[in-house]
Amino acid sequence: MHISTTKILDSLSKYGKIEKVHENTYFVEVSADKVREVSEILHWKLGGHFSVTVGSDERPINGYFKVYHVFLMDKQKLSIIVHVKVNPVVPKLPSITPIIPGANWHEREVHDFFGIFFEDHPNLERLILPYDWPKGVYPLRKDVSIRGLRSKLLKNNAESEGKRKAEEEGYIVPIGPYHPALHEPEYFELYVDGEKIVDAKYKGFHVHRGIEKVAEEKLTINQIPFIAERICGICGYTHNVAYCQAVENAAGIEVPLRAKYIRSILLEIERIHSHLLWFGVLFHLLGFDTGFMMTWLIREKIMDLAEVLTGNRKNYGLNLVGGVRRDINSEKIEFSLKTLNYVETKLRSVLDKMLKLKEVISRTKNIGLLNRNEAKKLSVVGPVARASGIDTDVRKHHPYAAYSEVEFKVPVYDEGDVYSRALVRYDEVFESINILKQLLKNIPKGNIMADEVKIPEYRKGLGLTEAPRGENVHLVITGRDNKIYRWRPRAPSYNNIPSTLIMLKGENLADAPAIIASIDPCFSCTDHLVIIDIKRNIKRRIRLKELARRRQC
Amino acid sequence: MSARLHILKEALRTGVVTKKYPYEPVKVPEGFRGKPSIDVEKCIGCGACVNVCPPNALSAEIDLNKSVKRIILFLGKCIFCGRCQDACPTEAIKLTREFELSTLTTNDLYQVVELKMAKCEICGKPYATIRQVLFTAKSVPKDQRPLLLLCSECRSKVSAKYISYARW
Repeated sequence: MHISTTKILDSLSKYGKIEKVHENTYFVEVSADKVREVSEILHWKLGGHFSVTVGSDERPINGYFKVYHVFLMDKQKLSIIVHVKVNPVVPKLPSITPIIPGANWHEREVHDFFGIFFEDHPNLERLILPYDWPKGVYPLRKDVSIRGLRSKLLKNNAESEGKRKAEEEGYIVPIGPYHPALHEPEYFELYVDGEKIVDAKYKGFHVHRGIEKVAEEKLTINQIPFIAERICGICGYTHNVAYCQAVENAAGIEVPLRAKYIRSILLEIERIHSHLLWFGVLFHLLGFDTGFMMTWLIREKIMDLAEVLTGNRKNYGLNLVGGVRRDINSEKIEFSLKTLNYVETKLRSVLDKMLKLKEVISRTKNIGLLNRNEAKKLSVVGPVARASGIDTDVRKHHPYAAYSEVEFKVPVYDEGDVYSRALVRYDEVFESINILKQLLKNIPKGNIMADEVKIPEYRKGLGLTEAPRGENVHLVITGRDNKIYRWRPRAPSYNNIPSTLIMLKGENLADAPAIIASIDPCFSCTDHLVIIDIKRNIKRRIRLKELARRRQC
Repeated sequence: MSARLHILKEALRTGVVTKKYPYEPVKVPEGFRGKPSIDVEKCIGCGACVNVCPPNALSAEIDLNKSVKRIILFLGKCIFCGRCQDACPTEAIKLTREFELSTLTTNDLYQVVELKMAKCEICGKPYATIRQVLFTAKSVPKDQRPLLLLCSECRSKVSAKYISYARW
């Protein structure tokens, strides 16, 4: 069933004023009592999906708080942003979580940072702010400055809620997953009955760095791409591109085609290296270290290629608002094509065989199931969604950079298990090589930077990219004095991590590492698990890596 | 079984790939973004690099007592993006291909360029480095060059006077 763009806009027009911001992106202002109705129509009836909720303190501009719900309509290639004014004195808004469970974390984040209360939210607890954060201090509000925040935190620390709670209930914070010096301290609690996982809990955001605040308060427009690149240690460039696109869209800057090609080329290189890294991690967790080493050996060629093209293996540092900073010459194109041919033949001969191994199949097939309906409810993105039968790919449905110039397929599998997530990524690696070959052969001549880069104040822009882990959304409101007023990056794992809790239920404990890794949550061996035996009531804490190793014997 | 044999064969054929770094040097390609270094002879102390540096690894300070300006590069903060190289008008700061930066003393991570400043002809305040004044003079018409010897405040006063003369 295809619904046309005009029909969607017609059905929305009765709720509020529609404003076209840039191509295929519409802002709809609705009143607070209609938010839920509009969200339901967009997510469940018109075939779109909920993407991100962004809070914003616009009291200095228009006297209100604002909440933006971003919906992406894949079939119509539309982005619809529903925005609501929130009263600054009594900031409250009806929650959309009862209708779209995927909005749970998003609304809690807005509640944490702006103090906007969501009515009927099932669980409006703190998500990102730590327990010892003083009450009533909302860090992303504009009347809170970084310097003021620091003194407030120091002053309130002694009488903080968290400390009191810790003393009353008598628990101490373990070093391990909460330690800020370890990268990626995700923290899962698994409740087990014998070998079966009965329930799972997740606590994250131990290393939330508040870069949005730093960017809004301290950095200039062209400094932010470099901090955006450091959001992720694996797919940083995609954040860099998404931010630049958001600002370019807001300011109406036309990026030269050659620059768009270069962006696409590097995004695909990043995707290949990220997927190969993922295969390595999966094989390692299954105890198949030969597979881990061989995929990473091939990945090394891709890292070398990135180094030749950009000057660095990771952190390409290539983008500015308006274009890219380095050109690619014919020598580099030749080198790239040679590397890609090598990688393709190697992968076909190695990875193909690895995925056919009996051991790999039995440890991944029909494990960690996520059906289509659950996936839609949580609004999961990227390979996780594609393995659960949802055809969504920003490159195809919301073309950016040079993706409208190339032909490629989007792999979709219906099984929704770990194996199909592996197959989606397997197919994508070869699609990426195919895209890269087309891009490298057809790259047009021309400038790599827009001639004029002028950024008007208080304009809104949406930047979308398909990161290796899924759809990546950046919403930007430009500000005065070469600054950004509000910047909200949303990484794909934000939408995907809640789905692991569903996947884990009813599975064997031994499969937990592979299931958690299957969504590719920027995984590292510092992750810790707490296993709670509900019958004997024993709590043990071990490293995920040890669990993987222990279960092999 | 054949899949397993194939993988085994491939693994044996690949052999050992680990390099004996640091005993065996690692080659980096041309255009590698390594440690930035300032050419003291070329630097004019304009501070263009300081303005664009995303992590503020570059900073500038003016010492009024000694009337010198210092451009300070701290590699501990550097992210090797190369924005300074793009911004530099005299190609003084450049990224090298060096990447082995580990050291026991933080002082090794600093590079400081100290440049003498010119004093304003009228008020005597140091306002810019001598090299910067000379560099700017190249692109300023001859009859206006004397204005370069003044600090920005005195310059605007003097030029305002000229404009009012012109009106009369």
